[in-house]
Amino acid sequence: MTDSVSSSGTDPLSARLRELADYLSAPAAGRLTEEQRALSLGIARRLVADVAVWLDLAIDTDGLWFEWLRKGVPGAERLAHICFARAEEHRWREQSAQRTPPPPILADTGEANSEAAVDAPMSDIDRAYLALQIADRRRFDALGHPALAIADLDGEVFRGLLRDVAAWRLAEVSQYQARAAQLGDAVRLATERHAAERGMADAGAAYHKILGAGVSEAAGQAITRHDWPTLIALAAAALGSSYDDMALTLLTAETAALPSLLAPLHLDRTALAPLEASLAMLPSRAVADHSARNFGEMLAPGRDTQ
Amino acid sequence: MSERIIRGRIDRSGALVSADAPLLRLQQRAGAGLGKPLALPHLARLVALAQRLHRDISRPLHTADDHSDIHALVRIIPDADGASLEISDWRTRPVAHPQIPAIGDNVVVPHGWTWECDQQLRVVALRAAPDAPPVPANWEGRSLSELFELQPDGDGRFPVLRALARQSRFDGQHVQADAPAGRLAMTLSGDALFDAVGGFTGFRGSAVVADDVAADPVPAAMLVDPAFGSLPLSDPQFGRRIDGALRGPLSRIIATAETISGQFDGPIRADYARYAGDIAHAGRHLLGLVDDLADLQNIERPGFKAAADEIDLGDLARRAVGLLGMKAEEKGIRIDAPRTDDKAPATGEFRRVLQVLLNLLGNAIRYSPDNSLIWIRVNREGDRATVTVADQGQGIDADQQAVVFEKFERLGRTDSGGSGLGLYIARRLARAMDGDLTVDSAPGQGARFTLSLPARD
Repeated sequence: MTDSVSSSGTDPLSARLRELADYLSAPAAGRLTEEQRALSLGIARRLVADVAVWLDLAIDTDGLWFEWLRKGVPGAERLAHICFARAEEHRWREQSAQRTPPPPILADTGEANSEAAVDAPMSDIDRAYLALQIADRRRFDALGHPALAIADLDGEVFRGLLRDVAAWRLAEVSQYQARAAQLGDAVRLATERHAAERGMADAGAAYHKILGAGVSEAAGQAITRHDWPTLIALAAAALGSSYDDMALTLLTAETAALPSLLAPLHLDRTALAPLEASLAMLPSRAVADHSARNFGEMLAPGRDTQ
Repeated sequence: MSERIIRGRIDRSGALVSADAPLLRLQQRAGAGLGKPLALPHLARLVALAQRLHRDISRPLHTADDHSDIHALVRIIPDADGASLEISDWRTRPVAHPQIPAIGDNVVVPHGWTWECDQQLRVVALRAAPDAPPVPANWEGRSLSELFELQPDGDGRFPVLRALARQSRFDGQHVQADAPAGRLAMTLSGDALFDAVGGFTGFRGSAVVADDVAADPVPAAMLVDPAFGSLPLSDPQFGRRIDGALRGPLSRIIATAETISGQFDGPIRADYARYAGDIAHAGRHLLGLVDDLADLQNIERPGFKAAADEIDLGDLARRAVGLLGMKAEEKGIRIDAPRTDDKAPATGEFRRVLQVLLNLLGNAIRYSPDNSLIWIRVNREGDRATVTVADQGQGIDADQQAVVFEKFERLGRTDSGGSGLGLYIARRLARAMDGDLTVDSAPGQGARFTLSLPARD
């Protein structure tokens, strides 16, 4: 690893001039806030560390990230979409959580019956919803910071990131032929393992399927309760898109476009009101110009969601 | 934009006769309920005003319960039988600094696990912190009590089950867990979670390996505070119970006394109105004392630590002035606050530093003569950032300076203006942030209190 940072164009002056040139070319365009930047960067860091550990437990994830911070994160364009989608979803959920009314005061009724609490039989719908919740909570680290679950990664994004991490690791262990050879096997095994992983899109599709005619009611309740991951997962399943694509489309949609975007969920206009209000209140929301495209095109099924 | 309207109805006697859930919850948190006088002082005053004016009024509404600040817009429509309330733009903000991770400070444990379960106590998340033992396999969807074998506390109770019945936070739940590394003794704590319509959705919390918990070798319930004699103030359970038991009734006393004192329900004899004003004043004093005791119980607990946020003492000083400016104006006191470009970057917990500054500024206002001046200055001295609050009060002599930071020390004052805990708490907080709080004063020369904290570049 060399220190020829300036040659890669990431020296502070070059970076600032590039940023200024970009700004001058479109001064009126909305740009990332510090919060969006920090959240996206944190999500990218946790993703890189998770992928590195998948590949090889012995990888120095801090060293890897530190070097990529200096030289630039490989495949940055690949990561930008999913990291920004996750960051915006997190901001939205945090905003809803902050506005949640105070909880009710309940009379002290002694202790709950633990048997009743934990052993109540589950319906198939409950089980599918539980699986969706578990898949969602995998998208946080141990301290509650937002993260991307490897199971939710698009196969192409995962393989690209895996190759970049492997290339970095290869440069570290190239003098040890046996370890370098093991790295190739590790990439293959990780790719196979990833193909078998099931994330939010799968959990959402299973929940959507089992709800059947009850999808509309479940989506309406999710909106009322500000249970945004469930709404996004149901909408993604209804439109056959990936969870990240659906999240970003919903989060950047014009308010007027929400009825047509969520049309497959058969929600009436009144049911959408809390969603419209919540999105409208999200500060620094990037509203995309979807006018030239239609949602079906944007969220075309058949994308690799594994 | 369609925004949910929260409605309520007040009858002719000022009682809340119907209310949507969020308003009713607030009324209950203030110790009242349906059919009882409105226990939210600000709202009660606005209702009385609308009734007196015989016309609709719309005003911002600021209120709070024990863990949230609430800002909303209220429209009051009076009629012959009382008044109707329409509350919109209801914003709830937890009483916490936004830099604190949303997951809650109790969850960040270096050697423990974090977990979350649904309302049926089925585990939906379980993770180990970097230095913690690995979590058991196949935890997904299992019940909390299956993953963690619950142990009763000294009274034979299970805090988690009690919290489930109350839908409230809990801690001190001793458990045994089968981890890959072997059987672990752990202690669970958790916060109750609610959705946007107030429905209970589960708990989120931490599981700390017992070795970490056992830092306090003395059982908490056995600790006796010298200032409180046999009152087990250091027992967190006791502190919380006292806090909860007193806050509601006191809020109701204050609300009722203010309603009487303000003669919102019609004129009464002036001396009776004055007595009611005294009751409200005393009630507020007692509520302040409850706050101080809750703080005291918190900061004196073993292992109390303040967060190390990146703060600017100049910014915090200006915020404190913004919060207490009105109080100063009532006495004609002018506050010379740091200018917006006066900065003193420091390290300390945002919320706690603001609390210290509010205490210092509040004292300065309370003990300054009318129409005087209070200065607040920020500075950098070596590796310390400082903020000084100086007043033109009667000052404190050397003997008094030696005891002014003692618990319950009020320097011989007997008025109901304070509990005698404020400066003690302020210094404890300053020292918990690797800083200090000092006083420099002489009789007749006013007092200068200086908070110093580690400076930041």
